[in-house]
Formats: sequence, C-alpha cells, structure tokens
Amino acid sequence: MQQLIEELKVKLIDILNLQDVKPEDFDENAQLVGGELGIDSIDVLEMVVMVEKDYGIIINNQEVGEKVFSSLADLAAYIKENTTKASS
Amino acid sequence: MYVGGAGIVSSLGSGLAATEKTLRENRSAIKPLELFSLLHGSPLPVGQAVGLDRPSSLPRTHWLAHLAAEQAMAGTSHPPDAIIIGTTTGGIATTEQLLRDHEDDKAPYRYHGLHTVAHSLAEELKCTGPLLTVSTACSSGVVAIAMAVAMLRSGRAVMVLVGGVDSLSRLTYFGFHSLQLVDRSGCKPLDRDRQGMAVAEGAGMLLLTTVKPENPIALLLGAGLSCDAYHPAAPHPEGQGAFMAMSAALADAGLRPEDIGYINLHGTGTPENDLAESKAVRRLFSVLPPLSSIKGASGHSLAASGAIEAVVSAIAVSRHVLPANTGLQNIDPLLGLTPLVQPVESSQNPARAVLSNSFGFGGNNGSLVLGAPGTFFFTRPCPPQRAGLAIHGYSCLTGAGDIVATMARIQAGESAAGMAESGTISKNLPPQLIRRLKRLPRITLALAVMAHNDAGIESRKPGAVFMGTGWGALSETHDFLTRLTASSEQFPSPTDFVGSVHNAPASQVAIMFGATGPNITASGGDYSFEQALLTADLSLQDSALPALLMAADEGHDTFSPLFDASIAPGAALADGGGAFCLDRKSENAKCCISIPFYRSCEADGVIAALRDSLGGTEELQRRCALVLAGIPAAMSGEGEKQLERFMALAQLTVPVLPYRKFTGEFASASAVATAFAASFLEIGVVPGALAGGSDIILGGGRNTILVLGFGQYVTAMELYRP
Repeated sequence: MQQLIEELKVKLIDILNLQDVKPEDFDENAQLVGGELGIDSIDVLEMVVMVEKDYGIIINNQEVGEKVFSSLADLAAYIKENTTKASS
Repeated sequence: MYVGGAGIVSSLGSGLAATEKTLRENRSAIKPLELFSLLHGSPLPVGQAVGLDRPSSLPRTHWLAHLAAEQAMAGTSHPPDAIIIGTTTGGIATTEQLLRDHEDDKAPYRYHGLHTVAHSLAEELKCTGPLLTVSTACSSGVVAIAMAVAMLRSGRAVMVLVGGVDSLSRLTYFGFHSLQLVDRSGCKPLDRDRQGMAVAEGAGMLLLTTVKPENPIALLLGAGLSCDAYHPAAPHPEGQGAFMAMSAALADAGLRPEDIGYINLHGTGTPENDLAESKAVRRLFSVLPPLSSIKGASGHSLAASGAIEAVVSAIAVSRHVLPANTGLQNIDPLLGLTPLVQPVESSQNPARAVLSNSFGFGGNNGSLVLGAPGTFFFTRPCPPQRAGLAIHGYSCLTGAGDIVATMARIQAGESAAGMAESGTISKNLPPQLIRRLKRLPRITLALAVMAHNDAGIESRKPGAVFMGTGWGALSETHDFLTRLTASSEQFPSPTDFVGSVHNAPASQVAIMFGATGPNITASGGDYSFEQALLTADLSLQDSALPALLMAADEGHDTFSPLFDASIAPGAALADGGGAFCLDRKSENAKCCISIPFYRSCEADGVIAALRDSLGGTEELQRRCALVLAGIPAAMSGEGEKQLERFMALAQLTVPVLPYRKFTGEFASASAVATAFAASFLEIGVVPGALAGGSDIILGGGRNTILVLGFGQYVTAMELYRP
C-alpha cells in the first residue's frame, strides 16, 4: 500500500505539474481537491484518465469520483481495492 | 437593427422552413456519430448537420458557413459592408486528417486558421470591407452578433453579415468526452437525470442592417456581454456572469424583464450549466416567461449555437412558435423553472421580444434580445464620433525579452526577433496559477501584468479584456491531438482540451484580474491585433474601467511552419506579443490609438482610400513622423508595392520601418510594433539608428506614428500624443 501511495505521489506531481511540490512534502491524508495544492475539477479529470490508463479502473460517476479523490490515501485504497477485485 | 436575411444549417435541417418544421415536431435530431470512424467503442450521440449534399473542396466549417450565408444573402444583390464570424474550429477537421496522413506540405493546411472562414466568405460574396473573427468558445456566435450590433451603431457599416459556425471534429468530440460532459443517452437539458451535452455542428447567419428592408424577419434589439472571471471551464455556480450578460442585453435593448415573452436558454444539459443558468434567470425575472433550451433537439453546436439560436429566436417572433425543451422527461425541481414541454403556437399571444443566452468556456457570456418586426422602435441616438483609446501602460515580449530589453535592441537599430525565453514569459507569475498553462497563456498573462504595472494604476483593475491571436494555443492543440492519436483515441487530455480554445489565454487574464466585463478574443491571421483593437473600440464605454488590449502568438516547431504562410519550413521561429492598458480618458495618457482603416486589398482604390482615411496628403505630411509597415513574408511582393504606392500617393518622405525585420515573422507582430510606437511617443524621440540618420524629435504637431498593415488586407492604426 505504501508503495502505491509513493508511486501515486510521483504520478500526480508529474501529470498535474505541481510545481515546487516534492513527493516527501505530499501529505497523502490531506484534502486533495480544493485543498492547498489548488487541484480542481479539470485536474480530477486528468487523474481519472491516469487511473484508467495506468490501473485499468474506470471512474465515470461523480459521486464515486468525489469519494475516490478526497485524498491521495483514499485514491490509493480505491485502486488497491478494485485491482484486487479484478484479479481475484 | 433589422434582420434582413437569415440562414441556418444544422442537425435540425437546412433553411428556416426546415428548421421551423423540426422545432414544431418537437423532434430530436441527435443520433450516433457518423462523420468519422472511431477506433474504440460505440459512437456517442451528436448533432450532425444535414444539407451538405453538394460537394465542396472547402473544410467542413467553411462549407457550413457558405451554405448558411447563401441563405441569409438570398434577398440582396449587394455585398455586405463587413463580415463578422464566430468560430472555434476553423479548418481543424481537415487539419486533423492531414496530420493523420503525415502531410508535411504546408499548402493543404491553408484553411486551418479561424480567419479563413470569413476570408472565404468575403471572396465568395465580394465583400471588401473589414472582417472580424471572434472566438470565445461556445459564446462565439453571440459575441459576433454583439460586435455586429456595435459596428452598425458606430456607423462603420450599414449592412453586416454575421454568424457563428463550427463543424464536428475529433478535437471537440473527444475533448468534451474527456471532460465527462457528454450524455451517452442523448441530451435532455433541465432534466433531473441530465448528464451532459451532445456535441453538434452547424452554422447560423444573420444579415443585419440599419436600413429598413422591405420585409424584415425580426429586429435585433440589443446585446450584452460579460465574463465570469471564475474558472477556465466551469460556470460561476451562482450564474453571476449569466445574470450580468442578460441584464446588460436588456439594458442595451432598453427593455425590462417583463417585456420578454420567451427565453431561449443556453441549456446545454450539463448539470452545472443548467443549474447556474436557472439561478441567474430566476434572479432577473420575478415572473418567468415561457422558456426552453433547444439543445435536446439540436445538440450543442458550440460557436454556431448562439447564432443558430438567434435565428431560432427570429423564427419564434416572426412565425409565432415557441420551441419546446425537447428531450425533457422529468423536470429537475432544483432548477425552479417550468420549461415548455411542447412547442407553443403563439399567434394569439405572440412574444414581442425574446432573450437568447450563450455561455462558453472561460466564463465568456453573451445574451441577445430580438424583437418582432414592427413592435419596437430604435430610439438610440448614434453615439458621437469618438476619439481613439488612451494608452496608459504598455508592454511587449520578443526574442530579446521584455519591453526594456526589446527597446534597447530597437534603439540600436538591431532586431529583437526570436522565441521569447521561457524564464521571461513566466516571470512574476505565481507558479500555482500557471502550472497547467503552456506557452501562449503564459506569454499573455506576462504581457497583461506588465502592461497593467506600467500604467501605474494598481488599484484600478481592468474590467474588459480584448485579445488577438493568429493561431491560438498551438502547444495545447498539438499535445491534445498527439496524445489522442498516441493513445489510440483512448486517453485525450482534458487539460489540453480546455487550454486549446482560442479564448483560454484571455480568460486566464480575466481570472487573474477579476475582469468581469466583455472578454473578446479575435483571430484575424496577420491582422489579429488590429481586429482586437476594433473590438475594443466597438465595446469600450467612456465610463468603463480600464481595459487590457493584447495580442500574442507562440512559435511552435511543428505547427507554426505548417499553418503560417510567412514561416518557411526550417526557418528560425519568432514569437511574443504586445499589451496595452487603456481607457477613453486621454488626460495623462502616454499616447492614443485608433484604427481608422481596415479593408481588403481587392477594394477599388484601396490605397487612396487609406490615405484619405488618415486625413489626406496635407494632414499626413503635417502630422506623420514615422511609418511602421507590416508586410508578412508570404505577401512581400504585393505588400511592398502597396507600401510604395501609399508613400507616393501621400507624398510622404518620413522614415519607413518594415517592422517584421525587427520582430520576426508571427501573426501578432503588429502588437509588438505598436509597443515600439508607444515607446517612441513616450520618450518623444525616434532613434536615428532606425530613422536612417539623426534622431527624429516628436512634437510641434508632428507627433503621429502610423502602424500600417499590408498584404491581403490593408490596415491602419494611428498612435499620437493627446
């Protein structure tokens, strides 16, 4: 799980071009959307694309999206849960 | 204004009669995409235009525009005085195919630019007057019509052909899909279960005139524009900008809310738009008139939609039918609206005036008021002949750097051409603000901040933004299409799509400054800055807050040499732009600017007319100190002849500076040249290194610098000390 979290930190910094944010400064439990990083609805869609492309998980429901992207830890948990489901 | 003619081509049909028939049938024309094939999945529902049966060598957007224009012009034998087009797609559908075929010859890309739609119409209709192409995403059609109204009121034209047009393309189809704004089950605006829009295409055209035609279809009574200054893609949640645009349109028409007999909603079917719009409508109207969105029938034809719905509004007032909110099953109770579920035959109780809304990305909002013929009178007096706009601050970016670095080169008689450095274009911009922005929006924001700082009016933020760009955000467009292809159409970037619209940079400027006034982006090829100045001159009120007038283009390794006829393959690229903070108060201004001339090189006696528009030979000899001449490389032969003829006809012997030698070749180079002129006027000297001799001291009546454009169009901007 921790490995996935670290992996996601690097990915988000890259795809969202989070300037001046280092993986070690990224608090996985902090509010992701609308928080200090300035992540908004367009970034959420960019993350949706990444989750589908890299993990094969489709998020096309706003309610699910709100839950999944509430923090990076939640995102990691959702990915883990759905990958396990898919492989089991 | 009278609507003397109208044309419409859309999924609803071709022509007014066919469109009226579909609307009366309350039938949705939305069906799965057929225009191009997909690599994956089943096609999404779209509004594909009908009536394009005749073959054409033109790109689809251009062809749609021609068909609608032909209908609008059917009753007149005169060419219009001016053509104003709103579009976001231009030749992109053709460009997409060429890129997929790896076409590297630039000739087939000649219709890529948005401005080529109006150009091809002008050629067809033999219009030699000014052209204006506005691109404010989904409000483009309405903004174009607002500009036509302003142009007619200003007396610059008596008859204007105006409209909006967009074709389906991969960019818009996959772009809106990537934003999760497309309803897979069709489109049902205002419905409790609405899930988005259906991307569509089409063209709407109006022939507007101040001279009463024999049988006017309708009256165009007023227009209102605003900007949310809130978010690049999402509407203001309370519909603040929508409220302002509707209020401004009513005020412009001289009407009260109770005069409105029908509201044609923007009503895209996205959860956010419909909710925000409903709040704005309920705030403005204490008693709600009949209202509906036709987008459940037609889909959302983007830049065309505002013009198409202006035509539908004209049908509503002249044919006494109020269209239904097609597709609606369960009204969303949260909206508090009661849309028409069936078309209403209104001849017993006709709507005398209709309000039509269009809102777009970047929070660009526009509303129109149309009236039934014979119901309202125009009491508005002609506005007084205005002096130019007063420049209080200015900036530029070039390969040399900012205005200081650029002018140091220019003063020494050296070129500043090149690509503006990435450090320079991001300087002074908050990293969090620009993290998603690529080259053009960064250049634009940097220019805006520098011009506003230079004006020294920190406390007075600009209210309106007028932007020109020849090619728009090339990096975002390129990256979107590249990733679309590389991912086999599976993972297009929502960020790049939002950034790819031509008005994205200007909307970023609005967000940064909280500028909620008109926000207009013009795209006129090599005359983009001139077109932006024209929109500023038509829009800016005496009492208004200061405005930002800007133009910029980015050099792009792949796209610039393919699209811009003046950039040879393999040639070193140049880019940058200029910005001006201005208002209508000439006290303490650094200089003033006006645009007295804009005409096709095909116009009879165009150079003599240019001279006369500037006051004639004697006046020019007395006032003019310097000519900055813009001759795009692709038009060098013709342009040099035009310049020579002008100097001979005006009997001018002042120095001529061919400014593209100093700025490099890019579409908005004239904005940089204008910054040169403002700088010379501020210091009062044209340096001898440029004048080919000793310094020229500006003063004693000899204080005018001309920035002339030559080539396909002949344009004149005057800068002078107040």
